[in-house]
Amino acid sequence: MRGYAQRYVPGGDNANLERQFERDKDDIRELGVPLETIEPLGEPGDNHNLRYRIPKGAYELPDDIRFDSDEVALLGLAAMAWREGSLNAESRRALVKLRALGISADEPVLGYAPRLRLRDAAFEPLTQVIDRRQLVRFDYLKPGEARARTREVIPLALVQYDGRWHLSAEEVATGERKTFLLRRIVGKVTPGKAAPERPGDHTARSLAELEKVWQRGIADIEVRAGSDAALRLAHRRGTEEIAPGILRVHFVDLAILADELAGFGPEVLVVEPPALRAAVIERLERTVADHG
Amino acid sequence: MADKRHRTPARSVPPPGSRDKLAFLLALVPWLLEHDRVSVQEAAAHFVVSEDDIRASVSLVAMSGVPGSTATYQHEDLFDIDWDAFEQDDEIAITQHVAIDEAPRLSAREAAALIAGLQYLQSLPENADRAAIRGLVEKLSRGASGTPSQLAVAGGPDSEVLGLVQRAVAEGRRGRFAYLNSRGEREERDVDPLRVESIDSDWYLRGWCHLRRALRTFRFDRMSDMVVTELPIEHDASEVRLPDTLFEPSAEDLEVTIEATPEVVGLLADYIPDGALTTEVGDRIRTTLRVSHYHGLKRLIAGMPGTVRVVAPDQARRAVAEWAAAGLSRYA
Repeated sequence: MRGYAQRYVPGGDNANLERQFERDKDDIRELGVPLETIEPLGEPGDNHNLRYRIPKGAYELPDDIRFDSDEVALLGLAAMAWREGSLNAESRRALVKLRALGISADEPVLGYAPRLRLRDAAFEPLTQVIDRRQLVRFDYLKPGEARARTREVIPLALVQYDGRWHLSAEEVATGERKTFLLRRIVGKVTPGKAAPERPGDHTARSLAELEKVWQRGIADIEVRAGSDAALRLAHRRGTEEIAPGILRVHFVDLAILADELAGFGPEVLVVEPPALRAAVIERLERTVADHG
Repeated sequence: MADKRHRTPARSVPPPGSRDKLAFLLALVPWLLEHDRVSVQEAAAHFVVSEDDIRASVSLVAMSGVPGSTATYQHEDLFDIDWDAFEQDDEIAITQHVAIDEAPRLSAREAAALIAGLQYLQSLPENADRAAIRGLVEKLSRGASGTPSQLAVAGGPDSEVLGLVQRAVAEGRRGRFAYLNSRGEREERDVDPLRVESIDSDWYLRGWCHLRRALRTFRFDRMSDMVVTELPIEHDASEVRLPDTLFEPSAEDLEVTIEATPEVVGLLADYIPDGALTTEVGDRIRTTLRVSHYHGLKRLIAGMPGTVRVVAPDQARRAVAEWAAAGLSRYA
C-alpha cells in the first residue's frame, strides 16, 4: 500500500486517492486475495495508521487441490462456455491461476464449442447483489399483466433451465420463495441494503423446483406429419407420442410455450390444456392484426 | 440449405484490466519457482501469452517486494532474478523471492464460473462420469477464497445424436442423416463431422456436407435417422478452418424492415447486420433484419407475437400474416 502514501498530500484534498484506494482493495478482494486489516497496537479505532496484510493459508490453494490433464481439459472447456460478460473474464482468470500448478491439457478428439449466452441485462447486476449479499429491487412484468410491478427480494441463486435464466429469490414483503424469469425483468436492477443470511444450496433447490414444475406442465399437441414442428417438438426432452400425430410435451412456462407454438403456425394444433389453446389463438390473432 | 443466420455481433471481451494483470503475476511467480530455470518462450507457451508479456511481467516482478520490519525496502525484501541469463539468454531464474510462492486460490466468482460451465458440460456423454465432475466441483469449491456464487446451468443435448456423432468421429467415418431445413425440405445428408457447438439449450453439428460440397451447420433437433456409414471421412477438423461464428451472412440474403419493442431487440441481434440503421418510432425501435428466406422469417416473427412487426417489404409482411392466419384457421 506504499504507493498511496507517496501520493498523499498532507492537509490537501485526497478524495480521489482515497476512492482509488478503496477500489483497489475491492479489486484485490474480488480477485480472491483475502485482505486483513491490522490496527496499530494501543490505538484501536484509529484508522489513520491501519495496515493491510494478506494472511498466509487463506491465500494459497490447499496442497491437495491438484488437477490432472483430463481435468484441466474439461475446465478449459467449461471456461470456454462463457464468451460474454464478466464471467468470461472470471473464467479466464481462473484458468490463468490454475496454470500456476504447471499442468497443461490434452487436445480432445472431437471439438466442442459450448456457449452460454447472457442476453438478459439483469444478469450482471444480479450476480453482483448475490455475491455481495444485498437486497435488490426491480420491476417485473408477469405475462397477462398490463403493467410491471416493483418487487423487492433477497436474491438467492441464478439458474439456467431450458435455456433461460431464472432468479430464485425470497420476496421481502411476503417471505415467499419465488422464481423470476430474467427476461421479464424490465428496466433497472437496483441494489439495496445488506440482505439477511439465507444459508443452503439454493441452485440445487431451485433447479429441483423448476424440474417439478416442468414435470407437472403437460400439453398435448397435434402436429402435421413431417413438419418442422413434428420433428422439433419430438426432439424436446420428455416428449411422448401419445396417439398418432399427437405429442405430449412438458413445459415450465405456459406463455413461453404459447409463443413457441405460435411460431409453428399451421403445423400445430393445441389439444390440451384450454389455457394454452386460448393463449396460442390470442397470439396468432395478434400477429394477423399487426401484419394486416 | 442448412440453417443460416446472421453472425453474432463481435463479442465484447474487455481488454485485460488491472485484475487480470495481477492474477497473471500471482500465477506466474509460483510456476517460475517450480522451474529453476525456464526460457521465456516456454513460459509464454504455458500461459498462452506473448513472449513480450512474459518479459514485461518478469521485469516487474524483479522490482517488487514487501516492506520489511522497518517499513522500508531492504535487499532481502525484494525479488531478484538472474539478470544476465534474462538479458542475454532470454531465460528466467528467480534467485530470491518474498511472499507469493504458492498458487493462488480462486475467487468465489472465478470458481462459480467454472462450476456452472462444468454443469453445462456434464450431460455430454464423454463426460458421463458424473462422479468425476462432482469431484472437480468439490475441489473448485475448496480452492476458492469464499463460497462460490450461487450459479447453475441445467440441460444438455440430445445424447443419442451426440453419441452417434462421437462414434463417427472416433471411427473416422461419415455420418448420414435426414435433415429438414428451415424451408421445410427434407434431404439425406452425408456429413464428415467436425465440431459440436451449442448456444444455451440449442445444439449444432458443423461438418463437411457431401451433398453441398461445403461446410454446413445442422441443428440437432432437425436431424433424424442418423447412422454411422462405412465410408471414410474426407475432411477432418485439422484441415478445415471453422469460422468462429455459427452463421454466416450471404449475398442472397433478404432485407426486412421491422419495428420491435426495445426489450426484444437483443433477441434479434443475430439477424441485425452490423451498421444497420436504427431509429425510434414511438415506443418501438425500427431496424433491419437480414434473413435467407421468408420461411424462416415468418416462423421467427410469429413466435414473438406482439413484440415485433414487419413493416416492409409487403411480401414479407404478407408472408407473416398468411402464416399466422393459416395457424388460426386450424381452430376455426
